[in-house]
Amino acid sequence: MGPATIVFWLASAVALAGGLGVVLFKEPIRNVLSLVLVMLSLAVLFLLLSAQFVFAVQVIVYAGAVMVLFLFVITLLGPVREQGTVRLPWQIFISAVVIAAFAGFLVAMLRGVSYRTPDAADPIFGSVQSIGVGLFTDYLFPFELTSILLLVAAVGC
Amino acid sequence: MLIRRNPLVMLICIELMLNAVNLTLVAFSRQLNNREGQLFALMTMTVAAAEAVVGLAILVDIFRVRDLEDVDDLSELKG
Repeated sequence: MGPATIVFWLASAVALAGGLGVVLFKEPIRNVLSLVLVMLSLAVLFLLLSAQFVFAVQVIVYAGAVMVLFLFVITLLGPVREQGTVRLPWQIFISAVVIAAFAGFLVAMLRGVSYRTPDAADPIFGSVQSIGVGLFTDYLFPFELTSILLLVAAVGC
Repeated sequence: MLIRRNPLVMLICIELMLNAVNLTLVAFSRQLNNREGQLFALMTMTVAAAEAVVGLAILVDIFRVRDLEDVDDLSELKG
């Protein structure tokens, strides 16, 4: 078991624990801190998948900016009293049926799959150069659409 | 997302789901040696950031008017 495997298992365990924390904690501040944990461990996983640029963006934009925004709003709004969960009638039964159906789909789909280790990546795979060339040549139009979306979100109205 | 009633926590759960999608996109891009997955993950991050900004702005505006404990309290538009 190489060091990459150990790092992978550690990061995925931390990500799963953080995801459970997001759903199960009662105070919103703990939800947000668990989400920061999830995002940092996902950043480690991105680095393992040789996606350096996505790793940097994940740490800076997500764990940095978006999570600070969430924390800011939570402290601005003060503690929110959350009422006990109001369950719809038959909610547990219906969710169990849906979970079983999707688990069945997954098992049926993955049963005949054989895994192969991916080919060795290019040295520039996932680097800023590769991503930048992609963004400004083949994917210029979605890139500009994204910039318009950001502009609308920033300006408002 | 369905078992929580706090609108803020629901927004956080949306972020969690978008992150899961990002992870699969990047993983498949590595498996297929194809950079398009990473580009699309970047787009997803941008959309998630914009969504968080707009959602939090709406929430702050609602909380300025009144206290909100449950998303089902916001049902005045229901006929």
